[in-house]
Parts: sequence; C-alpha cells; structure tokens
Amino acid sequence: MSENLFAEPNLKQITVWARGVLQNKDARDVVVALTEAAAQENKHVQAWENYVDLPDRIYVPVRAYAKISSDPIDSRYVYENDAPDIVVLVEETLVKNDKILKGLKEGGILVVNTRRSPEEILNFLVTKGNLGTIVTVDANSMSTAVVTLSGSEGATDATGIGGGISAPIAGAVVKASGIVKLENLESVVKNPAAMKRGYNECRVMKLDKIEPAQPVKEETAWDLLKRMPFAGTVDSPVSENPGMVTGNWKTRRPVIDKEQCTECSTCWIFCPDACITRTDNGMEFNLKYCKGCALCEATCPSGAITMVPELDFKE
Amino acid sequence: MGKVRRISGCVAAAEAVRLADVDVISSYPIRPYTGIMSELARMIADGRLDAELVYAEGEHAQLSIVYGASAAGARTFTGSSGVGVTFAFEVYSPISGERLPVQMAIGDRTLDPPGDFGSEHTDAECCRDQGWIQGWASTPQEVLDMHLIYYRVGEDPKVMLPQYVCQDGYFVTHILGDVQVPDEAQVKEFLPPYKNHHILDPKKPQIIGPQIEPCMGPPQQYQRKQAFDNINEVLIKAHDDFARIFGRRYDPFLEEFMTDDAEVVIFGQGAHMNTAKAVAARLRNLGDKVGVVRLRTFRPFPTDEILKRMSRFKAVGVVDNSAQFGISGGAGVLFSEVRTALYDVGDKVKTVGFVGGLGGEMITHDEFLRMFRKLQEVAKTGKVEKRAYWLPFEL
Ligand code: SF4
Ligand code: SF4
Repeated sequence: MSENLFAEPNLKQITVWARGVLQNKDARDVVVALTEAAAQENKHVQAWENYVDLPDRIYVPVRAYAKISSDPIDSRYVYENDAPDIVVLVEETLVKNDKILKGLKEGGILVVNTRRSPEEILNFLVTKGNLGTIVTVDANSMSTAVVTLSGSEGATDATGIGGGISAPIAGAVVKASGIVKLENLESVVKNPAAMKRGYNECRVMKLDKIEPAQPVKEETAWDLLKRMPFAGTVDSPVSENPGMVTGNWKTRRPVIDKEQCTECSTCWIFCPDACITRTDNGMEFNLKYCKGCALCEATCPSGAITMVPELDFKE
Repeated sequence: MGKVRRISGCVAAAEAVRLADVDVISSYPIRPYTGIMSELARMIADGRLDAELVYAEGEHAQLSIVYGASAAGARTFTGSSGVGVTFAFEVYSPISGERLPVQMAIGDRTLDPPGDFGSEHTDAECCRDQGWIQGWASTPQEVLDMHLIYYRVGEDPKVMLPQYVCQDGYFVTHILGDVQVPDEAQVKEFLPPYKNHHILDPKKPQIIGPQIEPCMGPPQQYQRKQAFDNINEVLIKAHDDFARIFGRRYDPFLEEFMTDDAEVVIFGQGAHMNTAKAVAARLRNLGDKVGVVRLRTFRPFPTDEILKRMSRFKAVGVVDNSAQFGISGGAGVLFSEVRTALYDVGDKVKTVGFVGGLGGEMITHDEFLRMFRKLQEVAKTGKVEKRAYWLPFEL
C-alpha cells in the first residue's frame, strides 16, 4: 500500500552517463538544458549530479540526472534515478557498462553520442531489458565539448548552458521523446544551431520487440548489516581490490605486439594501477583494472603498445 | 524585489554573504560546503564582492582568522563540514566568550570513521553548547534568509554572539531550489553595519582573552548567559522586520505543517522534514490527523515555545539525524531536549525518539510512514512500549 501512497505517476526521469572530469560539464548541461526548457512549460523540475560518483577521477563513469513532472517532486532527496524513462550516454564506450539500463521503464529510450549506427550500438548492450528505442547522434561532429570545473559541487556555472556537445545530445533526446518543446530547448541552449542539428540528424530506431527486464534484488539494510565488517575495517587488497574495479573507466585498451616487445618492463614500472605482469608468455595486461590511461603506450621504448578503441572489441 | 534564481544551498549562502557585504572570509576545502567558498571566490574575482578571502591551512586556522578579523571590526564569514567542524573546536568558545559575532556556515557531513561524505547533523550538534546561535535551514531560500537574519541578531548590541547557519549536506547544499535573491537596498534596510564593542586599535591597545582568576569565571560566564537570554526577543523582532522588508514570514522557532487538528506529529529539523511533510500530506488525504513541526532555532533551544505549543498533541515523534551514543532517552539530542521541554505537561503527551538518515541516507517516505503509524498506535493505546528506535533496523 505504501508504494501506491507515494507513487509519482507523472514523473519523468532522465539519467545521463558520462566520463569523469572531462565530461561532467556536458553531462550536467544535458539535464539542466532539458529541465530549464521544461520549467518554461510550467513543469516541476530537478537537475542534479550524482553525489556518490567520484567526479574528480578522469574517465570514471559519472551520472547526472533530471526529474520533470507536472506535480511537485516529492522524491527530490532520492540520490539516484531509480526508474529512468530516458538514458543518455555522452561517450559511446559506456554502452559496455552493464549498469546503464538499470531500472529502465518499459519502452524506455537510450540516446548515445556516437558516429555508429543504432544497430551497431545495440550489439554492445549487455542487457536490453525494457529498451524500446535506441537513438544515435554524432554530437562531436556538431559541436565541441566544454571542459570546465565551473559549476561543480553545487556552485553556479559561469560558462553558460548548452554550448558544447550537450546541445545536439539534448536535441536528439527531444526528437526521440518529445519531453519538451523544441522551441523551449532552443531558447535555453547557448548553441541552438548545434542543438537543431542533433534534433534533425540523429538516427532513431524503434526495437521490434521489447525484452522484459530481469528483476534486480536490492540489498536490504539488514543484508548490509550482516556484511558490514567489524568497525568497518577491511583487509588490505593484496593483488586485486574488488571494491575498486577500474576497468570500466577506459575508452581505449592497450594491445601489445609481442614481436616488438623486448620485455624491458618499462611499462610495468609506469602503469599506475599495477595492471601489467611479466609472465612466461610475455607481458600480460589485467583489463579488469586497466583504466586506459595510455601511460604504457607512451613509455614503451619499442613502440610495442597501441591503444585501441574499446568498441573495436565486443567484450 | 530581487529576481528568482534556481540555485543550490551553497550558492544561496554565498549570495547572502555578498548581500551582507562581508569584509573577511576564511576558507579551507571540505565537501559538501566547499561550493560556498568557490562561489565567493568567483564573486570577488568578478568584482561583485569586495572582501578579503584568506585561504587557511586548516579549520582551526580558519576560525582563528575570523576571530581576529571580527575583533578588528570586520564582518566575517567562514564555514566547514564534518570533521572540519570538529577540528576547529577549540576556537568556538573563545569567539563567543569574546562576544564576536562571527558567522559560520555548516554543510553537514558525517563524522569519521569511515570516511563518508553523506550528511548527518552530528557534526554541527557537537558544537551546540559553545555559546553560538544555531539553527537549520531546510531549503536554499531559507539558507539565504537565515544567514541575513543571523547576522542581524548576532550583531545586535544586546546579543553580540557568533552564529552557525546549518544546512543538510547534499540535500540542501547541492540540490537546487527556487530562490528569491533580494536587492542590496532591501538588505541595507534590514541589516545595519557591524559595530564592534571593543575594536582592536593600535592607538588604544587592549588584551583580548586575558588570563583571569577563577573568581571572575562566574561573572564572565553569566554575562554570556545574559546575552543568550536576550536572543529570543531580538530574534522575534528580526523576523518581523524581515517579513516586512522581504515579504517572507518565518516563525522564528517552530514551523508547523498541518498541525491544526493533528493528534500526532513528527518533530525534527532540516531538510528531512520536507519529506516528512510530503508524507503527512499524503496521509491527510486518507483522513489521518498527522502533522509536522520543524525546529528552526536549535540554540537557544525554544523550551517555552515547545511547552506552550506542543502540549496539545497526543504523541510527538522526534527525529534525530545524528548519532549521540549513550545519550539520555536513547535516541539523539533533539529527543532528549524535547522530552525535557515537555516534562512539565506530565504524561499527557507521549514522546518517541527516532534516529534516521545516518551516514547521509535519505529518510525515506516509507520510513516516515512507519514512524507516523507507530505514533498513531502510541496515541491510541496510550502506551509507549519502546522509547527510541534506530531506523531502519528497529522500525
Ligand atoms: S593503459 Fe597501460 S598504463 Fe594505463 S592502466 Fe592500462 S595497462 Fe596500465
Ligand atoms: S615497455 Fe614495451 S618493450 Fe618494455 S616490456 Fe613493456 S611492452 Fe615490452
């Protein structure tokens, strides 16, 4: 009964995924532009950034959120969007992250900033649960990303809203969802031309069949109490830290040409995450933790390492 | 009339500091209050605020800097969160003992361990008895308004005491709300310039905080108590003037929501009370006689107001968003103090304590629903089976 009592049937949720530091601003701009446009339509709105993500780590997946409703938003202190209607990826390799569609409403929309086609992106999705529409937009060719710390940690953004790649991405969101009127979005973004290109040039693909989402079992406070170690103290990780898996930070991965490698171990010294080990089979990379910083490529004296885009690999 | 902007509690605090034309600011970064200082730094860089911003080497130094600056006649501002608040602890009593109306923003953060940046009132409540005026704002608008009101009250010649303006970390510091940012002229009318009682001046040297004999302890402390006793009168007058000039009226002590014919109420402070209100409103639709009372001034604690206004309810549930281990009553400091305030009405009003939202967790709608249901049960049976509940484990 309590669930019905607190239901917010007119609430729409948008979750935007991006890469830490470099894309915080554009991710925030997507939600701010859409909510400011919605506010002009007398909607109740909320735009905010995930407080628990680690926004000051370069390339770490980060999230910004929007809520738009015709009713007052009672759930404004809930940390995360639990049931997004629209999910946006500001960077294409995030498509490999198995959490992006978590909680997606039935028939939900996924918008990806990429040169690739919706069909290609669809292939990389770990789960397609509840997905109804997939949209791709090549925002990088329509505008330039804005990298700034202005507006972080709740401070005012002095650089203006929607000047970067957020504009075409927001345009694509509106094309696919109609969540706000195009002219209202146009009046709030700094780069309306790019916004309109996103709107006009994005590729929208409706899925023939909506796969049902697998139910996710959330841990209760009692489960957490059970697994809370004494005084919160944990064993120091010896080789791998299961609490800090950094593999999903990378957009490119190191590929070694073992013919060229002299096994000098320079890369082993420089890898900040100790992902490289010397084995009988030559140098091996632990991709579960490699965060794609490319220091190994830069320091290898033999040019044996090449950074290759993540989406060149299915896994 | 100023314009309405959608801003966070951090920005609202910075706007108030700008409008109060503060002279000296000391900063040291810690989440979640940091946004206030980055906002102020930019205001200074943009020429919107003429103030000295001193980057301290830690919170103890931060408080020491505004201590000296306030003594030299400057209107001052500082702030912190969590362990930053407690690291500065030594300096709080001297500032109020010297009767310097320093103002500090606290964006709540859990105390360690472990390192958690979620919000809890524990940090600010640690400092509750240091002779500072203290209250919690629950929205960015109230943050801005409370900063202005507290400067006025703290700098009143009858008071001359420092102030903590507290806001829940994340829930208020980081979540945007619509804020009417007033005009400078309105603020000038409301807030007279700061006049120090004993200004530091090389031409007339003074010793601030000299060593005294124990015999001077009672009179010195009694002076501070007398100043504290003057606060309520000044606070009421300031709220009246605030309503006249800015058109926003707040009850200085307790905000009541749907309490008119309420049988049971939730009592608490800060942003979580907004969730409590949303739950009360939904329960009202079902015909439940429930309401919410939100404490606005925590120090001085409004004992008489609580006694006068809350003895009409059958059951009061006090929500503490803090961990005070081993405290009387078994919940938190609010529960302990509300029980004391209601002691004089005897057994007529039942009280139950709830500890919730620790570590920065949201107190959910469902948790407030369970609290209301528990209070209704207590009101109906007239029996308090258990005095205090730690959520979510015990209720
Ligand atoms: S890119 Fe190379 S240096 Fe960087 S984390 Fe991966 S293996 Fe290590
Ligand atoms: S630095 Fe280059 S050559 Fe040296 S071990 Fe690493 S991959 Fe091989």
